[in-house]
Formats: sequence, C-alpha cells, structure tokens
Amino acid sequence: MAVEIGGIGQSVKRKEDARFIRGKGKYVDDVKLPGMLYLDIVRSPLAHARIKNIDTSKALKIPGVAAVITGKDLVPLNLHWMPTLMSDKQMVLPTDTVLYQAQEVAAVVATERYIAADGVDAIEVDYEPLPVVVDPIKALQPDSPIVREDREQKNNHIWHWETGDKAGTDQAFRDAEVTVKQDLYIPRIHVSSIETCGIVASFDKVEGKLTVWMTTQAPHAIRTVIALVAGHLGLAEHKIRVISPDIGGGFGGKVPVYPGYVLAIGASVLTGAPVKWIEDRAENIQADSFARDYHITAELAAKKDGTMQALRVKTIADHGAFDAAANPSKYPAGLFHIVTGSYPFKKSFVEVDGAYTNKPPGGIAYRCSFRVTEAAFTIERLVDVLALELKKDPAELRMQNFIPPTAFPYTSALGWEYDSGDYGRALRLAMDKIGYAELRKEQAEKRKRGELMGIGISSFTEIVGAGPSKNFDILGIKMFDSAEIRVHPTGKVMVRLGVKSQGQGHETTFAQIVAEELGIPVGDIAVEEGDTDTAPYGLGTYASRSTPVAGGATAIAARKIREKAKLIAAHLLEANPDDVEWKDYKFQVKGVPTKSKTMQEVAFAAYTNHPQGMEAGLEAVDYYDPPNLTFPFGSYICVVDIDRGTGEVKIRRFVAVDDCGTIINPMIVEGQIHGGLTMGLAPALYEQINYDEQGNIQGGTFMDYLLPTAMETPNWETAKTTTPSPHHPIGAKGVGESATVGAPAAIANAVVDALAHLGVRHIDIPITPWKVQKILKEHGVAE
Amino acid sequence: MRFAGTTDIDAPRERVWAFLTDPAQVTTCAPDVQSLEIADPHHFKVVVRAGVGPIKGTFTMNVQFLELDRPKHAAVLARGQAPGSAVEMVSNMDLSEFDENHTVMEWSSDVTVSGMIQQVGARLMQGAADKITQQVFACIKAKLEAPVTA
Amino acid sequence: MAVQTAPTTSRGQRTLKIHVSVNGTPHDVEVEARTLLVHFLRENLGMTGTHIGCDTTNCGACTVLLNGRAVKSCTLFAVQADQANVTTVEGLEKDGKLHPIQEGFHQEHGLQCGFCTPGMMMTAVAFLATNSKPTEMEIREAISGNLCRCTGYVNIVKSIDHAAKAMRESAEGKA
Repeated sequence: MAVEIGGIGQSVKRKEDARFIRGKGKYVDDVKLPGMLYLDIVRSPLAHARIKNIDTSKALKIPGVAAVITGKDLVPLNLHWMPTLMSDKQMVLPTDTVLYQAQEVAAVVATERYIAADGVDAIEVDYEPLPVVVDPIKALQPDSPIVREDREQKNNHIWHWETGDKAGTDQAFRDAEVTVKQDLYIPRIHVSSIETCGIVASFDKVEGKLTVWMTTQAPHAIRTVIALVAGHLGLAEHKIRVISPDIGGGFGGKVPVYPGYVLAIGASVLTGAPVKWIEDRAENIQADSFARDYHITAELAAKKDGTMQALRVKTIADHGAFDAAANPSKYPAGLFHIVTGSYPFKKSFVEVDGAYTNKPPGGIAYRCSFRVTEAAFTIERLVDVLALELKKDPAELRMQNFIPPTAFPYTSALGWEYDSGDYGRALRLAMDKIGYAELRKEQAEKRKRGELMGIGISSFTEIVGAGPSKNFDILGIKMFDSAEIRVHPTGKVMVRLGVKSQGQGHETTFAQIVAEELGIPVGDIAVEEGDTDTAPYGLGTYASRSTPVAGGATAIAARKIREKAKLIAAHLLEANPDDVEWKDYKFQVKGVPTKSKTMQEVAFAAYTNHPQGMEAGLEAVDYYDPPNLTFPFGSYICVVDIDRGTGEVKIRRFVAVDDCGTIINPMIVEGQIHGGLTMGLAPALYEQINYDEQGNIQGGTFMDYLLPTAMETPNWETAKTTTPSPHHPIGAKGVGESATVGAPAAIANAVVDALAHLGVRHIDIPITPWKVQKILKEHGVAE
Repeated sequence: MRFAGTTDIDAPRERVWAFLTDPAQVTTCAPDVQSLEIADPHHFKVVVRAGVGPIKGTFTMNVQFLELDRPKHAAVLARGQAPGSAVEMVSNMDLSEFDENHTVMEWSSDVTVSGMIQQVGARLMQGAADKITQQVFACIKAKLEAPVTA
Repeated sequence: MAVQTAPTTSRGQRTLKIHVSVNGTPHDVEVEARTLLVHFLRENLGMTGTHIGCDTTNCGACTVLLNGRAVKSCTLFAVQADQANVTTVEGLEKDGKLHPIQEGFHQEHGLQCGFCTPGMMMTAVAFLATNSKPTEMEIREAISGNLCRCTGYVNIVKSIDHAAKAMRESAEGKA
C-alpha cells in the first residue's frame, strides 16, 4: 500500500520533471510583461576609489534609454543604503566611495536589454583610486586603510564572537600530554548556480501593488524586508507580492538582497513600468555573495593514547566590505561552533573575529549550512594531524573517540544538543564498502615502489534545521516554518509551504509526507511554494532546513487533519471515535477491519455529511517551531592516486555513507548527495577566488573559475545508515548540504595521507596540481 | 606590470625632449588615438582604443606631467577608464646625449590594469602590452629620425 | 547577406533579414546584426527553454542543434543561423510523445533544478546520433562542455545511457 500511495521511503519519480524536460520551466528571465524595461548596472573596475564625477549625458542621449540612476538619485528616497541580514548596512549605490571591484555604481533602464548595455558602456565615471586592503589580517592592523568610513569606529574590525570555556580549555591544553596545532586557510569560493540572479519588478500605480518575480530562496522574508525598507515609498506589505518561480539552483546564493533587486524595484515604482534585471555570469561571480574566506588556527589537546580532550579554535573571518552574510542574527559566525564534531571534547573554546576588506560582501553562500563546512573541515583535518602525530591509523583514532550511540541526546562542550547518532556504525560501513584494510596494505606496497596513494576519512556531524525560536531569528523574524493543507471534496489535496525548492524536489517529497499521513496517493497531492500571496509565512529553503522544519509542519498539519477526519469517520461508521483507529491508511473500527472508511470518503463527507456542530471542510495549517536542530552525520572515505609528473590528484574511489534519519525519497536523497559531493570536490581541488593587491579578482569568469565537469567528477558510491531524529515528527533530519560539508576533508585528508610519509602534514585547499608539484619537488620525488 | 628599456634615437637630445614633452606630438604615437584635448602644457586628455585579446576598449586617459627636468628627465602619470576597466600608468624617461646627434633614452613604466580587461585578458596582458610598447617606441624613433623638413 | 547595404535602426544598429527554421517551423524575420542566437530564440520567438548560464561559452546551458550539430547559441549571432535548421528542447517532444532522452532524464533522476537540462539533453541528442552505444567515459566526455551544479553528473550519465539503450532497442525493433 505504501508503494501505491508513494509514501515515505518510496523512490517516487519527480512531478516537477514534466515541465523541465520540456523546456517549460518558468525561471525569472522567462517572465515577460508588456512594456517591460531592462535594467543594467555600471560597476566599478577599482576596489577602493572616490567617485569624482559620473557623466550620464551620453547614455541619456541613446534612443531607448529611459532613465539613469546614480547614488545621488537615491538619497532623497533614503534608498542609497539598505540594511543587511546581519544588522550591518550596505550601499545600494554609492554617493561617494566604492568599496570593492564590481560594486554597483549606476544603473541604466532601457526599452531593450541590448540598449541598456549600450547605456552602461556610455556612462563615464571619474574615479580617484584609494589605498586597497584585501588581506583581513592586515586589515585588522592599526595602520591599515579603513574600508568603512561610514562607521563610528574607524577600524576594520566588525565584531568579536566567542563561545565555550576559555579558562578551562586553556588549562586543559596546559595539562595535555599531546597537543597539535594547525593553521588552515579556507579560501573564498563562489556558488555559481547555473542560473544567475535576477528580478522582474512590476509596480501597478493604480492599485499601489508591487509584484516581484525574484530568484529568492526566502520570498516571505523578502516581502517583509521590502515593506520595512521601502515602506516610506508607499509600499505596504499586503500590497507586495513576491513570487519565487522556478529557481535554477540556490545553494545560499539567492538568499541575500542584492542592490540590483532594489534598483529594479525602485525603477519600477518610479516609472510605473515592469523592470527586469538579470545579471550576467561575470557580475554574479564578481559581486554576489561568496562563501568561506576563513583564516583558522586550530588546536587539539589529547592523551598519549589518542583520547581527545580539548579543542581551541581562533578564526579571522573576511567578510568583504559589508557584513551581509545570511546568518541567524545571534550567530555572526553561523553554526561554526559545531566544530567539536563527532567527538566528546570535554573542553572547548572558539573565537571568531570578523574583518572588513575591499572585497564583495557575503560569507555563507555555497551549500554550507551556516559555516558548518568550515567547522567540519577544521576538525576532520585536525584529527588526521593528530593521527599523524601519534602515528595512529586515522580510522582507529576516530573509532576510539566517537561520541558513543548511548550518549544521545548529547550536549557538546559548545552547547549543542545533538539529537541522535551512531558514528561508529557509519564509519564501519564505509570501511567495509571501500575495503579499508586491503587499501592500507596496497598503500604500504605502493609506497615501497615510490607510488603515491592516499586514503582520507571524514566523519562529520552536520547541524541543520534552523531553528528553535529561543535562539534563532533572521532580522528578528523567528525561524519557524509552515504548511497549509486542504483536502478537497473529491479527495484531492493542495499543500502550500513556507519554504521554496531550487531543485530539491519539494513538489514530490512533501507530497510524499502528506501521502503517508493521509493515505492519499502522491499523484493526487499538489504542492505549491514561493508565492507570498498564497503560501503561509515561512523563512525559506537554505541550510538544509526544509525537511527538518517545514517537513515537521507538514506532518503536524496532516495529523491535525487526520484528527478531524477521525471524528468524521466515526460519524460515518456510526462508532465512538475512541473505537476508531487509523490502520493501513484507513479509518477502521477496532477489531472490525471490514468497517472502514478511506480518507477520500471522509473528505467528501467533510463537505456533505459532517457531524452536526462541526465546521465543514478538511484543512489545517501548522507553524512549526522546531524544539531543536537536527544532526545528520556520515563517514566518507576517499582514495586518491597522485601523478608524480603532473601533481594531479586522481580520485580512484569515493564512498559516502550518510545518515539523514528517515529518508522520504531515496532517489532524491541520493541525487542530493551526488550534487553535494561534487560541490565538496570543487573547493577541495579546483575552485578559489583570489584578489591581487589592487583588489582585482583573479578569475571572475568560468574561464578561470573551474566548476567540475563530468570529466573531473568521479562515480560517487553512496550508502546509508538510518538513525531517526527522536524529536522530529517523521524522524527526518535533512540532507541537502551534508555532502558538501563532509567531502572536502575526506579529499584533503587523502592527499595529505598520500604524502605523509614524506613529512607533509597539511595542504590548504584547493589542492591544485601546482601545489602538489611544488611539494613533490621539495621532497625530491617529482618525476 | 613593469616595463623598462633603452632606445637609441638618431636625433639631438633637445629635439627628442621637445617631442616627448609636447602632447600634440607625442600622442601621434599613442595607439589608435580618437581625440586629444590639451588643457595646458602639463595636462591633457587623450582618448585611445587599445585592448587585450578579445577585449578592446576605448580609454579616456587623463595625462599629467609630474616632473619635467629639461632636457634630461620627465615623469608622467596617466589614468584612464574604459567601460568596465581602468588603467593607471606611471612612466619615467631619462635622456642622455651619446653625441650631439644621438640620444639614448632610458624609460620605465609601471602599469596597473583593473576590471574586465584584466580579468578576461590577464594571461594575454604581458604580450599585448609588450606589443603596444614596441609599436609606440618604434613610432617615436621613426618620427624623430625622419629628416627634418624645412 | 549583403552587409554593406544592410539598413540600420534608428539607433544605428544594422539589421538583416534571415530565414530560419526552428523545430520545423519556418521564420522570416529581420534582426539586428548583433542579436545573439540565444536571445533570438528566447525573446524574438518566445522559446524560453534554452537558457543562459554564463558569458564565456563555458556552461553549455544554451546548447541547441544547428543543422544537427550541437552549438552554444550564446556564441552565435542569429544571422549565422540564416538558412539553417535549428532544434531546441521544445522540439524534442513529437505529437505528445517524449523523446527517449527526455524519458531517460525523468526515469534516472537526471535533473534537479532543471536549468542545465535543456542544454544537456540537446548535447546528448547530437552525441547519440554519432555514437549509439557509448561507454561511460565517452558519455562523460561528450557532456564535458555542459556544467551542472545540482546533480553531480552520475544520474545524467545514467539518463543518457538509458536513452541510448531505448533508442537502440527501438531501432532494432524497426529493423
């Protein structure tokens, strides 16, 4: 029966495929309205400069150019600055100074896309270069150029954040038998969804209503932000409609509010015509939200026998020119303090300092669960450093230390209550699948012949599902999420959610949750998301929160419906409600299976034959405040072979064992893991965004920024263990980002393992052939 | 990027100096000049077309003589923009007399390119800049060595 | 195309008349010389199934077939398609029947956000016409000009393999 209705655990084929395989998806750039104008943006080539003059005269003369907007034009509307999600502020357009290369400087609105581009080329900006700072450590020194003249405190220090027991941790390090220390730099990378960001803003002057199609992962939050930021322009929240249509990949890059959005909305309000802004790829890579750029010093204290005792981490976080990371407001360093990982450290202390530099703003857009990738990479690299120090096998060292399955719910030294886990089981399964013991033998033999082969492990604990209202909010809005379910008389169901898929398959998976709860086939359940006029308020999809939070709301709303349905069923069965039970996806009289009613029969009755005194209809809404986060986990093992001539790292095998609790759709979960692993491979070996001393981006297009293709990506091998979340209504934990969180360390550990016998202890990612070649030459083993 | 070199010119030093420090004359050797506006003998604006690989731009260059030590030394600052790109160049020229009809010019240039031309053309930059530099100096030499018409 | 005598728009843009057949339908239109083929398809013809993912010809989201060959429509001018047959993703389904490549992608979960999918499928269609029994490595190499961020490629390879099998069986059935 479960198979027929397509409930939990079934690999139901995706409903959303129907439009995508026909090229009938509706992405923002597909939206075309009568009289629509196009907006294009003039961007600064310099990383820090004073604007002496902007000459817009030539642009305004081009036939078809409707308007040119500069910072000066936004001042009377008080729109030249806007708040960021981290309570900083960000320029929409500068009036005075630009702070990073590719920053928006002016906008052109024209009747055609190409004319808008002509207009951009015709604008002449006179810049006076100012001193640039791109190194956050230099930026925090007293003699550094100041990035933010608008702030009261004239330095580049944004905030200091710390957690844990400093004194206790310092003492533990003093008392420790063994300590290891490692500096790690996790460079800036860019999420680069294949669809760039964009908006179509359409203001109806008569109705005073603004409708916006936008590449956003959080449409309701955007609606509220527009109402707060532009309310003084006459935009009231009930007259703002944000539509998040089909989104071509989000991964966190489509959460922040970019100046282009504000400019398009402003231009539409001013002209009364719809205005479209679609950024090109160069703009996307060079100006939109990045991820990582963490300079970390991590230390681990342990006993001689390998028992881990204390963890101390200090980080400098490079945030660019504005703190616009989309973290929950209490956590400027996101959930980085999950860095204790899968190990029961008794003492830990973490501190992070944010710094401004002349680079684009952002910080957490790359499928990273709010800095969890940085944390997992740090601890899993550090564990391998310890293993090397103690000359212990890295698998053995992990097994010896893991938080035991009996310890859950487990409260870490940094305050997180892990819901459930069985780390040893996942690692053992990974080791069996990959043939760990044989690989170690092979490695020993190959080493004698001078061949370089490495095995790397990453046993990560993820933290997702933000989050409980006690501690989680974005700009003050609590991070609940919602589901509204309505069952029609003919037994068909409409579900509306506060989250928004960008490829995760919600139209299928959330229908499966409802199918399971209501016994209605998944094909009879329609799921809608993304239109703020109809969907219940939610905080959107990012940081793997949809299944843990909105999935909870969906199950609970469905159960509310089932409670009412039971009363109607009892009425139809002429039985006492206490004698009716939900069994085999039907309402049955206890002990009399022939006396039953389906949910479809109940649905019809809800409108035609409901008990006297009861409201008609069969629907429910739930706003779910999760009691805790969820903690998916896994163990990944990677085998690499290194080419001694080219320094190229070849991934021979990669086994990923993931545990995300209850799995709704195994096919979709596997797809999420494949994609996540590939976005873990990318920063490990290929991707980095660097700036030279003048603040020029080194590689602002796909020619230089290397996304893995089908040639670089290995055949991922996946397996699972299932340890449900005890607090989640269906035991599900979420999985979207786990693989991106866990994979980089497995790959880095494998490469270091291949070279460890030469004395190599750490290599910063991305581990390019050039870096490896250098090491091989230094150790005299290059071919 | 840094460029430096030495060029021998078969012309008296005074003539070389006069040519190099006269905006109207020296810009005849700039690449693909579109227009020239002389504000005063030390400040001028010249619009040139130049590019690297697939990216070409029309640069509006503001040029300023920083140091003038006739007839031995001159330093020049040029700053300009094209859509999406910016260039800054500081050049030094030192002239010494080999004999009364031959001048040795030692020159150096520090060039910073930002924006689209730098990003897309980075790998081709050195080669393109070398080529432009060679053409400019070949032109200067040719013009100065041409027989003076009465 | 007599470029020298081409008329210009009020903005000074040269325009040319072209004759293009798209998915079997002929179009006689006047376009600006500088209009890219991908914009012509998406904006002039309203066929938005072909997508734009980059500006350096790297991502392949814009892939269409030009006289049967897979081309990146962002790097062609519309005028270069004059007298040619263009096939886009909208032309794969025939009389309500999905093309085997579309079936393959659906059955093997070869898409998530769907943005790279049209380009991916068009590349696959052109490739399978030259190689009806490809190995995994041959498929990977064939799609190495199409970027995907969501799927990690494993299921895309399976989808193309699924289509190849279906197309072989159907060819054998007809033989």
